Formats: sequence, structure tokens, C-alpha cells
Amino acid sequence: MPVGASCLMLVIAVLVANVLKHVLAGLVKLTVSAARPRKDYSLQPSVSILLPCYNEGKTVYDTVESISRSNYPNHKFEIIAIDDYSTDDSYQWFLKSQEDFTNIRIRVSRNPQNQGKARTVCNALKQSEAEIVLSIDSDCIFHPEAIRELVACFVDPKIGAVGGAVGVRNVNDNIVTAIQTFVYYTNFRLMKVLENWTRSVICISGCMFAVRRDLFLNLEPKVRGRRWLGIEVNDGEDRFLTHQILLAGYGTVLNSSAQCWTTVPNTLPGLFKQQIRWQRSGVRDFLLTLQTLPQHVWTQHPNTIYNLVIPTLAAMSSVVVMLILMFPYSFFLFSVAPGLFLLYGAGAATFDALVRKHNPEQAVTSPLRLAAFAVWIVAGRLIEIIAMLTLDSRDWGTRAKAVALQESAQEESPSQALELDVATAAGD
Amino acid sequence: MRNEFLLYVSGGLHTALHVLLSKAVLLLYRVFAIVALYGVLVGVFAYAVMLGVYAINTSWIAPVILAPTDQRSLDVTERLITTRNSLEDLTLEMNRQKSLLAEMKQHRAALKSLQPELEAAVVRERQHNKVAAKDLLRLNQQKRADIDKTRGLVDDVNGVEAEIQRDLAANLITKGEAAIQRAQLNQTRNAATDSQINEVLLRDSVLQKSTIGTQILDVLDKRAELESQIAQLDISIAIAGQEIATVQAQVERLNKAINLATQTPYFLAVSGEETLHFAFVPYDNRTSVWVGAPVYDCYLHVLLCRQVGTVKRIFESEEKTQNPIFRTDMRGFLIQLDLQNEESAKSKTLFLNHRPLLL
Repeated sequence: MPVGASCLMLVIAVLVANVLKHVLAGLVKLTVSAARPRKDYSLQPSVSILLPCYNEGKTVYDTVESISRSNYPNHKFEIIAIDDYSTDDSYQWFLKSQEDFTNIRIRVSRNPQNQGKARTVCNALKQSEAEIVLSIDSDCIFHPEAIRELVACFVDPKIGAVGGAVGVRNVNDNIVTAIQTFVYYTNFRLMKVLENWTRSVICISGCMFAVRRDLFLNLEPKVRGRRWLGIEVNDGEDRFLTHQILLAGYGTVLNSSAQCWTTVPNTLPGLFKQQIRWQRSGVRDFLLTLQTLPQHVWTQHPNTIYNLVIPTLAAMSSVVVMLILMFPYSFFLFSVAPGLFLLYGAGAATFDALVRKHNPEQAVTSPLRLAAFAVWIVAGRLIEIIAMLTLDSRDWGTRAKAVALQESAQEESPSQALELDVATAAGD
Repeated sequence: MRNEFLLYVSGGLHTALHVLLSKAVLLLYRVFAIVALYGVLVGVFAYAVMLGVYAINTSWIAPVILAPTDQRSLDVTERLITTRNSLEDLTLEMNRQKSLLAEMKQHRAALKSLQPELEAAVVRERQHNKVAAKDLLRLNQQKRADIDKTRGLVDDVNGVEAEIQRDLAANLITKGEAAIQRAQLNQTRNAATDSQINEVLLRDSVLQKSTIGTQILDVLDKRAELESQIAQLDISIAIAGQEIATVQAQVERLNKAINLATQTPYFLAVSGEETLHFAFVPYDNRTSVWVGAPVYDCYLHVLLCRQVGTVKRIFESEEKTQNPIFRTDMRGFLIQLDLQNEESAKSKTLFLNHRPLLL
């Protein structure tokens, strides 16, 4: 078989497998009760909510306010809020929330210099004395039941970390947020079902990451000292920590009843940056997987191994193959792409119907939503390539401003500067 | 103490080597990443530009290399041979039909030439009969009158015979003389009978001359047969003429088909000794094509173009192929190129009239 045809078959096989995985996940979700975590609401351990922040502005106030309305016993949890040397008034909003929400305990502090999210979380961890720590993103709004739902899952001593379902706050800002609503919904409501079944969720979102403090403390040096070829790594701490928890022999699970909503980027550059960061952490995790696979391949659940290796490997190889095919076999773009658009458009239509039925607050109104999602899924694969080639980046996160990035890019890495150019160009 | 020192030194050395190695790998990675990233970005951008150019450009053509072993060339050659064989068969058949026709025409002419002679003979005979009939009728009347007179004479002769009998009985005459006289009387009677016979014959002749007899019927029958033969020949000639016309039309069609086939690029590609160059032109780009139009070849599809030849000939028959860029089905036609640069025939696309980006 010619190389082009072989590559094409590989890409199609990966895409078909992806679709089948979604279908299987849907069936499991509907029929297998074990796919849902075991819960005990009488379990009420002390909880420290670790709230790192960088340039969030007033959003942090809203986040703290949502937590203050939690129905988890107030004396059982505290907020440890650390501002990572923001250049805006985030710290002042922290202080204001501390003054305003006196029903809960809030500890506010500020890093003497910008250290990145992972290290800021670690700093917050050091201040915690609770049994469970809940690391959250500073742009999220939490459901009053969120903390209770999360800690209820720790009734199983083998569970090391619990995540929740993250929704989108600004669903209908524009088509960019509409796309992400679909992405979030599929990721949290469907994609992790199979992983949940075997208690081996590969990546618990940093938006809402509950973990046993002792376990986190054991792993904290690894998180803090995470480097890649000598460069500090600041992104993807959630995926890294989840991976380490799995390697430590604990299970990870997602409780979709624990809900929060995050503000997603509403510009293409913002989305572009976020996706690069996510993909980058995925690639790094894949490299970590390759390093640790020999010693863990027999100790981990086969589904864990599968989820650690296959999806990323398939995505990376298919993206590279797609790029290779695009030039000498440009017909691929015009013969297969329409089929892919239709396939993913149909998938989006299904999710759209599910969202409208089960989570109406996440319903997207844009008439272009299905097409935009399909285009994003296919065209967004280019981001995976860029992520693979910018592993030396030290981006903080979603709130890193372009100007700040540009300054640090000149100091840090040419590839990161290029990434910024691409993000800016995408915005233009 | 010494061991601890060595451990410290070796540990530090190991760390330093590790850092050095990491930095080296990082440097290599960054170089590779920058090159690859810019390569991908430039490649994607260039690809997008190229797609854009081809989406709106109406002067591009796709060179086609037609080898003698090309299936379509082989098909054309095979069809051509078959057609030529058919043409030869038809030509032979036509020539045979023509010979037959000529022979039939000659035969008809011969028969036709008999017809007036026969007609003239009939007329002549009729006129003769007409005249003869009148004469014979008149003679017949005269003959009848003569017979009537003769009949009176015969009555007289009978009286004379009785006198001879009386004379003989009276021995006035001898028996010899009586026999002689009786013989003379019989001669008279015979002459009268002959006259009656002649009169009957004469009447019969008159009848023959004045009415249509079997002889003239034979002539008429022969004339009818002659006319029938001529009519049959006329039909055969007409049919042969139609058949020849049909075959002629087939021959003309085959000749035309052969002429067309020999003018197709697929035949030209296999018949000539020189390598000919062709290109596919989609219908959307036909306004850019005319004989003598300059042909440009470009690097990287659309950049750094140079003139490499001209359009030599335009073929009318429709061709279908795939778009070399978008791989969609296209309809169009072929043109022959006069290329100075043989390598340009291997380019994915060429441009007519002007450079696509004026570069």
C-alpha cells in the first residue's frame, strides 16, 4: 500500500476510534453504575481550598463569593488565597473578599515574585493543615454542593484525587466561547466516563482538583521541581499531579455532580494560548509516560495505560501525518475534511441536544455552533504541532497578558515568542 | 574523608554533566523547534496562499505527459487500426458495387438501345400491314368478283361437258377428244377452285394485316420483356446507387473519424518521433487559451515564473481529469504546447499569458 494511503488509513482509523470511544462512553454512562464514583455525604473532613491567582482582577472576588455560599460546613474549610505577584488589582480584590465574606476563613498572601501557578499552589499547600486540599482556579464559580460532592468521594481510601465537572460561565459571549462549551461538555461529561469506570482519570482539571493533603505533600517536591531539560515547567500541573497520583497507586475519579463554571477565553488568541498550554502539558505527560511506563506498565490498570499512551500517541501521530499528507496529498484536505466536518458536526449536534436537555445553562445559542465546533476540531489540530515544538515555554496560564508574555518570551525562548506571534496573528 | 570528597566531586561532576547535557539537548530542541515551527507556519501560509491563487486564477493549465504506452494512446491506436480495416473493407465493397452498377448501366443502355429499334420495326410493320391490308382487301374484292365470274364460267363448263357427252354419245367426237375436252374443263374447274382458295388465303392475309395477330403479340411480348428487364435494371441500379451512397457516407465518416483520431493528442503522442507536450485546460480557464499564448513555469507553484514556451494547438474534444491541487473532478480540453524547456512538462501546473502573481 502506498505511504499516502497508509497514512490516510491511519488518520481515519484514529478518528473512527475516537468516535467509537465517544459512543462507548455514552453507553457506559447510561448503563454501568460503576462508572459513577462511590459517595458518602456523611464524610466531612477538613478542607483547604487553594486559590492561586494571577491577574484575575475582580473575578477572584466572585470566586470567593461563590465558595462562601457553599453548603459544606463553614468551619470545615478555609480558603488559602495567594496572589502570584499580579500586575493588576487581584490582590486588593482578595483582601476585599476577606473583609466581606466573614462567614468563611480566608488566608490571603502574595508571592514576592511571579512563580507560576504550580509553585503558587505548592506554596498554598504548605499553609494547609486540612485532610483534603481542593486546588481551584481563580476564575471559577462553584456550585454550593461542589465541596460536599468532592469530599464525599474520598470515602474510598484508594481514591487519591477527585475532580468535578467544569462548565462554561460565558457560554454565549461569542462563537469562540461556544466552541469551548462543546469541548468542555464532551470532556467532562463523556470523555472521562471510561476512565472513571476504572478509577483512572488521566487528568483532573485544575479548576477543581481535590486531593488528599498527605498524598499531595508527598508529591509536592515533584510538582515544585518539575523541569523539562532544565527549564521550570509552570503549566499542566493538574495533569502531572493526576499522573503522579496514579503512579503512586491511588485511584482518581471524577464526580460530575460537583460542578463549577469557568470563564473561558473569548478571543481566538486567548483560546489559542490556552489550547497550546493544554496540548503542551499533554505532550509532556506523554513523555513522562514513556519514561515511567516500564516500571508501571504491570501495576496500572490496562485502561490507565491505554489512556496514558494511546490517545496522545494517536493524536500526535495523526497530526503529523495530516501535515505530511496535506502537501503531497492535498486531496486529503478536500476529500476527507468535508467528511470529518460532517462527522464532528453530527457529534456536536448530539452534544448540543444533550446539553439542552440535561444542562440548559450550558446551551449555546449561536447558529454557527455546530460548524464552528467541527472546524475547530479539525483545524485546531495544528495547535498540537505547535505545542510539541514549544515545550520550553514557561507560560503561567490563561491570565498571562500578551505584553507580559512578550517580555518574558524575549528572555526565555524564541519558540515561545513565536507562539505569541501565532496567537496574535490568529487574533488578527 | 577522602571517599566523601571523591563522592562529592564525582556527584558534582555528574550534576554538571547532566546540566551540560540538558542545555545541549535544549539548545538542539530549540533550534529544531524554531526551524520546524517556522517551517510549518511558512508551509501552511504558503499552502493557503497557493490554494487561494489556484482558487481564483483562471490561467493555469496542467501539463500532461502522454507516453506511447499510455492506455488511452493504446486505445486510440487500436481503434484507429480497427477503423482503418473497416474502411478498407468498405472501400472494397464500394468498388464492387460501383463495378456492378456500371455493368448494370451498360446492360440497361444496351437494352434501352433495342427499344427504339423494336418500336420502329413495329411501327414500320404496322404501316406496311396497313397499306398491304388495303391492297389485299381491294384485291380480295376483285378476286371475289373474279370468282363470281369464274363460277358462271364453271356453270358454262358443266353445260359444255354435257354437250361433250352428247357429242361422244353421238360419236361426233372420239373418246380421246372427249377426254381432252373434259381435262380442259377440269382445268377450268381447278382454276376456279384455286381462285377460291387464293381468295380465302387472301382474306386471311387481309385479316392478318388488318388485325393484331400472334406475330405482333410476340413482338409486343418481347417489348414488354425488354421493358421489364430495363425496369428491373433501373431498380437494381437505384439500389446499388443507394448502397454505394451509404457505403460512401460510411467511408466519409470513417475517414473523418480517422482524420480526427490522427489529430488527437493521444495519436500524435504515439505517431511522431519527436516528444510532444500537452496540457489540460479546465473549461473555466478557456478564455486564457489561444494559439501562440505564452506559457510560464513557476517555482513553488506560483513564484519566480519564467516563460517556457507557447500554445501550439488547441484540441476540441472534451477531457476529464482531476484538479492537480484540489483533486476534484474537472472537465476541459487538451492543448499542445511548444516547450523550450522539457522539464516544464513535468511541472504540476503551468500558467498562460502572464505570471500568476506577476512575479
